[in-house]
Amino acid sequence: MEISDFSQPARQSAKGIIIIFGFNTFKFFKKFFVLFLALGLSLMKKKTFASLSPTIIILIVAGILIVLLLFAILKYLNFRFHISKDDFHLSTGIFNKDNTIIPKSKIQNVYVKQNFLQQLINVVSLNIETAGDNKSEIEISALDKSTALLLKKELFNKNEANADSDSTLVNEQKTVFFKVSPKRLLLEGVSQNHLKSFAIIASFVFGLYYEFKDYIKDLKIRERIEGVIQLDEATLFGIFLTNLFIVVLAILFSLVFSVIKTFITNFNLQVVENQKTIEINKGLFNKISLSLTPSRIQNIVIKTNRLKQYFGLHTMSVKQAMVNAKQKKNFVIIALEKNQVNHLIDKLLENYTSHLEAYKPAYYYKRILGLDMLITAVIANGIAHLIFGSNVWWINLILVPLAILYVYYGFKKAYYKIDDEFVTIGGGVIDTTTNILEIHKIQAVKLKQTIFQKRRQITSVIISTASKSVKIPYIKESEAKSIYDFLLYKVESQDKDWM
Amino acid sequence: MSFTNSQIFNDALPKLEDVKLKPISKRYLKIIILNKLAMCAAFLGVLIVGKLFIEREAFQDNFWFIFSIVMVFCLINFVIAILAFKKRKYAIRDHDVIYASGLIVNSITTVPISRIQHIEESRSWLARQFNLAALNLYTAGESGSDLSIKGLPHEEAKQINDYISVRINGNQ
Repeated sequence: MEISDFSQPARQSAKGIIIIFGFNTFKFFKKFFVLFLALGLSLMKKKTFASLSPTIIILIVAGILIVLLLFAILKYLNFRFHISKDDFHLSTGIFNKDNTIIPKSKIQNVYVKQNFLQQLINVVSLNIETAGDNKSEIEISALDKSTALLLKKELFNKNEANADSDSTLVNEQKTVFFKVSPKRLLLEGVSQNHLKSFAIIASFVFGLYYEFKDYIKDLKIRERIEGVIQLDEATLFGIFLTNLFIVVLAILFSLVFSVIKTFITNFNLQVVENQKTIEINKGLFNKISLSLTPSRIQNIVIKTNRLKQYFGLHTMSVKQAMVNAKQKKNFVIIALEKNQVNHLIDKLLENYTSHLEAYKPAYYYKRILGLDMLITAVIANGIAHLIFGSNVWWINLILVPLAILYVYYGFKKAYYKIDDEFVTIGGGVIDTTTNILEIHKIQAVKLKQTIFQKRRQITSVIISTASKSVKIPYIKESEAKSIYDFLLYKVESQDKDWM
Repeated sequence: MSFTNSQIFNDALPKLEDVKLKPISKRYLKIIILNKLAMCAAFLGVLIVGKLFIEREAFQDNFWFIFSIVMVFCLINFVIAILAFKKRKYAIRDHDVIYASGLIVNSITTVPISRIQHIEESRSWLARQFNLAALNLYTAGESGSDLSIKGLPHEEAKQINDYISVRINGNQ
């Protein structure tokens, strides 16, 4: 089944039919998920749905599946690709024939992916990314692994052959630089931001509840819960206990959710070091393999928090130019040791050093943080009053120390460093984040000042690259202007490309 | 590669303060006024239509209260927009384009010409009546780094457009 000559139009592996079929079926059922659930529920209750007997329903479903299968076969038969001298050709479409031609030189990224189904039947999908909008991405969904790697090489090699011919030779040297252990994954999962997980769960539950309001009402859950709670309602202690129970349950759920999520997306995370590029492999159900090219990197963000620092866990996200939103999330390497982070930075950013004098924002920043907290506290008090009445002033006993800590850490962690080639900005309150960007990749620089700041001569500097804007918050106006002039001078005087 | 303070505060660097920012065309103020008036009229119009058709008592009783709030809001908005007009300034330097705007939140953005992907001159119907044009500069960055200079005299916009277009293509 292996294809080695790409000059002739070829189809993907015949297993592609299964992949296309599986994928389309999944999409179909996902689309009508709610309908199917409703169908199932009413079948359970009445044994019929819209006066159709179960046999007819099964027949309908089978019919749909057959149509989907037919489409998959046709789609497979009409999907052909080949490589000519400088271009990649692809023709697709059952009724509307599409013929896509991509010049090799315009290909930005080629990566290999493998979802659960593909893992089962041992094929991979190859994605070809070009600069431009999301739709310009091409996916060949079923190839043998060896074919895929060969094709990838073919697409890339000639692409770079003109630039330097020996890079292909050197590229062969691969070393696995980092491999995550299950223990570290577990720690990473435990130390994640559980509020986020909780929000996801909560919105999911609310969403479901909203969809199935009527059914749930039928089940009379409310009455049952109220019945249970009424037993404890006699004592204040009882209420306290139920609340505590709910809180603990929520925390536990969020924790488990975080851990599972971390495991699924980062299972077997591996960082492979090539001569010039870095490759990331990860995923349990969706195996993906991505490569990072230093020239395309725009920002590097390193994140950790108190707890993670204790375990020696650092998260590094790399923002590349011209990748779509779906891919952006995947350029994250978790559970790195401090020295591993440094090693990767050395590799990706030449000449980077963090041994520089760190400058702090002006004290005005504290006021802004304080103001933030004041507004939050006022809103929190307002809500508490509306819900629980006027005797909840005690929440301020918790809120005020939290606010003070917020201001303290927010200010303590903020700094910036600038040298000839890099800007480093530190920040975060619970998290500790470090943002690094190369000066020659700057797209625009902006000074921002409100009327109130004008009197105190405070300004923020916002630096935009092709993938992200970062802010040096609230520094002295003269300082900001110098940075502004310096950065622009650097960008404009060197004739370096940003990509 | 150690970095010293003096490098940043080097006097020899071209300074932002030395740039003479040029105000945009005065005729654009008329466009702003017209736009704001239209907006206020739309808001008040909706309210008045509401008074005629909504019969809920809570709304009818408080109509003048709501009306005056909207009125005050419009007035403040109007005054700020007019005052902010003076802050809209721009400059084209050898290597970059600078645009400043905003009264309450003042911002000065600079885009190096070498980072501009493409440039576009756009003229709305209203702008054509006043012989004005807007210049949109697009960079590869997030939307935050794109620049739009509104209210340039048409002739000047054309000149800048030509100049920058040549520069962008020349660099390639």
